[in-house]
Amino acid sequence: MNKLNRCQKCGLPETYETIEFDVSGVCNICNSTEYKQKTINWQERLFLLDSLIEKYRGKSDYDCIVPFSGGKDSTFQLYYLCTRYKLKPLVVRFNHGFMRPVISRNNERTFKKLGVDVLEFTPNWRIVKRVMLESFRRKTDFCWHCHSGIYSYPLRIAVKFNIPLIFWGEPLAEISAYYDYLNDTVEYEDEKKFNMCRNLGISADDMYGMINAPDFPVDRRDLLPYTYPQLRELKAINYCSICLGSFIPWDYVKNTELIKKELGWETDELEGVPAKLNTSCEKIECFMQGSRDYIKYLKRGYSRISQISAFHIRNGRLSKEEADAYRQLEGQKPPSLQIFLEYMGLTEDEFNTIVKQTTIPPYVHDYSRSAWADKTPDFDLWYREDNRPKGGP
Amino acid sequence: MLKRRIIPVLLLKAARMVKGRQFMDFRDTGDPVSAARIYNAQKADELAFIDIEASTDNRGTLLSIIERVAEECFMPFTVGGGVRTTSDIKSLLRSGADKVLINTAAIETPELIASAAEGFGRQCLVVGIDVRREHGDWRIYSHSGRQAAAVSLAGHLRNMERCGAGEFLINSIDRDGMMTGYETELLRVVRSETSRPVIALGGAGHFQHLADVLAEDYAHAVACASLFHFGDNNPIRARSFLKNKGIPVKNV
Amino acid sequence: MSFLGIIDYGMGNLKSICNAFNFLGRSPRLCSTPEEIESCERLIIPGVGAYQAAMRNLHARGMVGPIRAHAAGGKPLLGICLGMQLFSSVGCEPEKTEGFDLIAGEVRPLPENSHYRVPHVGWNAVSLLRPHPIFSGIKTDFDWYFVHSFHFITTVPEDTAATTEYGISFVSIVARRNILGVQFHPEKSQDHGLCLLENFGTWDGTC
Repeated sequence: MNKLNRCQKCGLPETYETIEFDVSGVCNICNSTEYKQKTINWQERLFLLDSLIEKYRGKSDYDCIVPFSGGKDSTFQLYYLCTRYKLKPLVVRFNHGFMRPVISRNNERTFKKLGVDVLEFTPNWRIVKRVMLESFRRKTDFCWHCHSGIYSYPLRIAVKFNIPLIFWGEPLAEISAYYDYLNDTVEYEDEKKFNMCRNLGISADDMYGMINAPDFPVDRRDLLPYTYPQLRELKAINYCSICLGSFIPWDYVKNTELIKKELGWETDELEGVPAKLNTSCEKIECFMQGSRDYIKYLKRGYSRISQISAFHIRNGRLSKEEADAYRQLEGQKPPSLQIFLEYMGLTEDEFNTIVKQTTIPPYVHDYSRSAWADKTPDFDLWYREDNRPKGGP
Repeated sequence: MLKRRIIPVLLLKAARMVKGRQFMDFRDTGDPVSAARIYNAQKADELAFIDIEASTDNRGTLLSIIERVAEECFMPFTVGGGVRTTSDIKSLLRSGADKVLINTAAIETPELIASAAEGFGRQCLVVGIDVRREHGDWRIYSHSGRQAAAVSLAGHLRNMERCGAGEFLINSIDRDGMMTGYETELLRVVRSETSRPVIALGGAGHFQHLADVLAEDYAHAVACASLFHFGDNNPIRARSFLKNKGIPVKNV
Repeated sequence: MSFLGIIDYGMGNLKSICNAFNFLGRSPRLCSTPEEIESCERLIIPGVGAYQAAMRNLHARGMVGPIRAHAAGGKPLLGICLGMQLFSSVGCEPEKTEGFDLIAGEVRPLPENSHYRVPHVGWNAVSLLRPHPIFSGIKTDFDWYFVHSFHFITTVPEDTAATTEYGISFVSIVARRNILGVQFHPEKSQDHGLCLLENFGTWDGTC
């Protein structure tokens, strides 16, 4: 039987990455959030942001780069920088291949209402599938291309176009203890962070060596979009890659309400998450969200419902009892899993065998569970492959 | 209080990292310098590089990898594989290694350990011992597990300690790459036969395996390769897990 | 021209310390002659190995006098690991040998038993007994990397700036005016180690 130790406050289990419990059984992320809510002088931080922006304004073709997915965070950060600071940003979108229709609609509306230049990049799908499979097989996590691309590509554009200021959104301190509000005044989005927790411990050089084979020859340049720029190139442009959430208190619920109101930002459902819980639309920008969350559940015994609940408890919007009730709904198989298996050319048994490589004790999953979650309304619009080549070899 | 160490192991073959099972079936696991950079970002306690090809031809490659790692990673690292002479030890230390791992040569020419201890100090000497369980007993193997050694485990440990070994890296060949847990019985025997610090290697598959060894003090450090190469784990998560179990780990 | 010098006496991990300062943007000077030592505004004595061999090498290269003069002149002097131990009056590895005698005391083997094994190798905490400029900006609850079999026993309690627990409470930092010795390896202690070295690079020698 799986009895996981949980944070006395937010309910996240001991299998949550980087979680540590203090003597009262409260987790380090809750403690960091409390510091953020009670101790940080946000006015001072805002002054810092004001002066930082003026340092870079007008010095290049664009005042800054805003890496953009179209989710609630990047939409809010673009809105904030355009309206409060009247910056001229270059919006850089790395297309991970799983954009949902609602996001395309939201993006068009956002870009047109705010009036911004946008650069969109879609990587080679054949390579994407191959690295997804490799990353999944080795690390039981198929999102290598997405995270490596999202965090490297905008920096590559920064170097190419000489735009040193890059604004990210939510600090990691909001959801994990890789960084915390007490010790990390400003959270940078740099190569150290990339290596610490973004790229699953696999660099583009590593991945090239892992997938290049006689039956699947790969050009080293195919991995360029995932290659973090050299530090000397970044230093040469005097780069500054930072999280907006280090300067303003990040509250994604308030942020989402604002973009709904000001930009007509539309919401949608998530696989396996009750709509009532996710009114602020975490993670609606990726249709593989359900599969990703499911893999997390298989390994760690918790999923998106626990994460969203924990966040709401910390911000006083949900009670522990309500969270416990929601948690009973976790662990259902997502319909997107069928699509993932199709892309990869794997059966569900093969999938399970691969995931079993990673176990986070003490959780042990019961693989006989077979209930499927409901499809989301846009499921039939997601990209399907017919007889095209799968992720193999 | 001295903390328990978690040591990622990077096996090298022709300038790439590899990982196998029971010393066979090696797969490419990436570029060692970029791996070192990643482990450095994750504040790993120490790194161990072992060159499994270990020929005189590629010694230059290994040295250049170590030099590049030493330029940007400021944490301890141990390097081994094919170390046979004091000159080998000297060039590794000069390239930036803090400790040198010696395995086969320690069995064949134990006087190497004595002269190295005198010349460089025992704190930079780690004696590696590869062990298989055979007929209910522990058998030492040299030459990457290919040749059974005549000396007994207890005898070798005592001799090496006398010669000046600083630490012992005990590798279970049976458990290597299997990810089913360390060979704790072997570690218990070694712990009682030596008074030097012991590093366990071979078998880590998930964090509880690390906790099993460290909570009972079967070893003072746990070395892992497959755990970090295959599967969704990193030293930061390992530290959090062990901390929650009350095992003292490095404060970062 | 004033330099940050690293004493090269044939023992010790010079490369690591050089790499660390290069990484920090300071170009250190390797000193193997008295003239080179004299050209430095601050000096580091690294060291890994035996006390006796170290002093013998330093004497053979004529470095003992210039280093003493550097210290007497109030210029910052940092000893790392064996380098710190050489500041003592006397060591015993493998035989009784006189040290620099810059900080009174002797170097003896760490007591060992099956629980506290020697060498003391790994990450351990350092408890500062008083503030020191070299620790500016560094949190006090970090662990530092140690690897040694001997320890420094100070004669004058005020010379002990920090201790570390390993069965006994041994001296992990000695400090007297412009002289500072650390038993651990800052060049192997990652970010806070680099911070300490950077602080040494700008330290004016007072505390």
